[in-house]
Amino acid sequence: LFSLFQTLTGNKTLAEEDLEPVMAALAQRLEERNVASEVAHALTESVASNLIGQTLPSMTSVKYAAKQALTEALTRILTPRRKIDVIREAHAAREAGKVYSIVMMGVNGVGKSTSLSKICYWLRQNGFSVLIAACDTFRSGAISQLQTHGKRLGVDVYEQGYGGDPAAVAKAAIGRAVREGIDVVLIDTAGRMVKNSPLMKALAKLVEVNLPDLILFVGEALVGNDGVDQLMGFRQALIDHGTTSRNIDGIVLSKFDSVDDKVGASVSMVHASGGIPIVLVGTGQNYTDIKGFSVKGVVKALMK
Amino acid sequence: MVLGALGSRISDALRNMSNAMLVDDKVLNDMLKEIGNALIAADVSVPLVLNLRKAITQQVNMEEMAQGINKRKLIQTAVFQELINLVDPGHKPYVPVKGQTNVIMLVGLQGNGKTTTAGKLGYYYQRKGWKVGLVCADTFRAGAFDQLKQNATKARIPYYGSYTETSPVVVAADGVDKFREEGFEIIIVDTSGRHKQEEALFEEMAEVAEAVEPDTTIFVMDAAIGQAAQDQAEAFRERVDVGSVIITKMDGSAKGGGALSAVAATHSPIVFIGMGEHIDQLEPFDASSFVSRLLGRGDIMGLVSK
Ligand SMILES: Nc1nc2c(ncn2[C@@H]2O[C@H](COP(=O)(O)OP(=O)(O)OP(=O)(O)O)[C@@H](O)[C@H]2O)c(=O)[nH]1
Ligand SMILES: Nc1nc2c(ncn2[C@@H]2O[C@H](COP(=O)(O)OP(=O)(O)OP(=O)(O)O)[C@@H](O)[C@H]2O)c(=O)[nH]1
Ligand SMILES: [Mg+2]
Ligand SMILES: [Mg+2]
Repeated sequence: LFSLFQTLTGNKTLAEEDLEPVMAALAQRLEERNVASEVAHALTESVASNLIGQTLPSMTSVKYAAKQALTEALTRILTPRRKIDVIREAHAAREAGKVYSIVMMGVNGVGKSTSLSKICYWLRQNGFSVLIAACDTFRSGAISQLQTHGKRLGVDVYEQGYGGDPAAVAKAAIGRAVREGIDVVLIDTAGRMVKNSPLMKALAKLVEVNLPDLILFVGEALVGNDGVDQLMGFRQALIDHGTTSRNIDGIVLSKFDSVDDKVGASVSMVHASGGIPIVLVGTGQNYTDIKGFSVKGVVKALMK
Repeated sequence: MVLGALGSRISDALRNMSNAMLVDDKVLNDMLKEIGNALIAADVSVPLVLNLRKAITQQVNMEEMAQGINKRKLIQTAVFQELINLVDPGHKPYVPVKGQTNVIMLVGLQGNGKTTTAGKLGYYYQRKGWKVGLVCADTFRAGAFDQLKQNATKARIPYYGSYTETSPVVVAADGVDKFREEGFEIIIVDTSGRHKQEEALFEEMAEVAEAVEPDTTIFVMDAAIGQAAQDQAEAFRERVDVGSVIITKMDGSAKGGGALSAVAATHSPIVFIGMGEHIDQLEPFDASSFVSRLLGRGDIMGLVSK
């Protein structure tokens, strides 16, 4: 009876066995909300190990303390250490008389070209001139997809047709932007699987030849455990097949409008990559459906 | 095999159970927990995994009453059976009929591979001697018609679409009518990507279905999808009569469990899997050989039927 009294009213020193069931339930909740298994368990284990041995103030339940600690941990992980301000960077480049280049990369169908056209719209709203480089020279319809967006947005699309070397197309596009005084070049690339090493090599070459100012990885909010493998695979491929230190700077989290409260993919990608920030979030299929990332909103959806 | 890691975790869990001196509740629970964790790590939806664990426990407890049954074998069989149920809902897919018109409509989330699969599926039937036509009923996505057209042209499959008509319902109906009149046997209708959160898109899908009266509707789903798979698949099934599933991008690193959850949600079997971007990278799918490959054993059907 005495020990029961203690758990209820506090002054209780937390032991592993108090935390185990609570943390297992929290890990399962994170998994349900689409946090990758490995990440969910790593997170709850680290929260538990911080709590062991702590004394709870009176009237605090173990469950409440664990939830509180996990909320703090998630907030800490998702909060970027370095904020990427695309508009400011593009301004700085323009003032220095340089063309600012952004490359989009990711697996097939995640929303690279659509996100690129949203970024294009956003840059145009902020007064930048833009050239789109059609470096997906493989997928059927990829070039006309961009041309359709270009026409709607009043922006030229630089292309050399299908079958060409994407690195060379990007280089020629940047060259044209330099000559014509265009502020920003947006480089679209073909979707590819991490396991497809010829295609990953070609992507590394594009980065090496063009040294883009901003490298954005596009990952779907819908992706499950594979999200981590995709992001880490692209990063590793740029290391393995390249000789420059340029690598992924940030993440575009697409299709955020199709997951309801299953927002965990964001946590998986940021945690597994050791803090690559989510720069932009895609929230629909229109040009204005692009937003900043709300750490608070995501943590709330995960913990409620 | 993409699901290799999952398979070996499940096999290991089964083996650990078999090696235990005595199979008591704790051994059974540990094994089920490990199998559950392996399935969740492969993106099978959490509620589905909890149901599967419950179903296995029930199956084992029920039969425990009977005397003289090998408990380990019983548990193994229950696990296999539930895994097969996961990929095989027992429904037979629609089989196209020669000499008549078979309209196949493809639906699914944005970017999951519908247009690519339309080309692959057309190519698959054409090579088997069917008269095939492709209809582009996606008037929304930029470049959608050009994409289908280029794929169709490469494979020399007749296609129908429009650069000016903005209603997918009209294009779909016109295209299907045209091919029907010309005696085409397989007419594949490619539709726009959509998701359950946008009602207008679901309404549009229902209207296209009403206009073309498909003989079967195939839900196309990306192997990499996670926990949202089940909700999305259920929502599609509620609005159109999904008859089967195609899982795409199985050549990637994804485990495919999310897409498996779509099978449970739609009560529809997987008919093909996509193994790459090229037109011939489509493979017919067989549930039981899939599970036996998954667990690395050939004698699974024998085990299940005891
Ligand atoms: N709902 C929703 N759909 C999106 C979003 N972003 C992109 N899409 C849709 O996803 C589909 C694929 O988008 P794309 O931009 O073509 O994808 P991609 O990565 O360029 O594809 P590939 O070049 O073929 O690899 C399209 O139907 C887009 O409209 C988003 O934020 N929300
Ligand atoms: N690696 C691989 N890529 C695939 C496969 N199936 C489709 N893709 C790629 O996935 C991307 C999206 O395919 P689409 O056919 O455009 O998808 P969709 O469902 O028609 O897209 P929306 O019409 O925008 O909804 C393209 O880059 C395809 O080449 C596959 O089995 N393997
Ligand atoms: Mg693209
Ligand atoms: Mg399409």
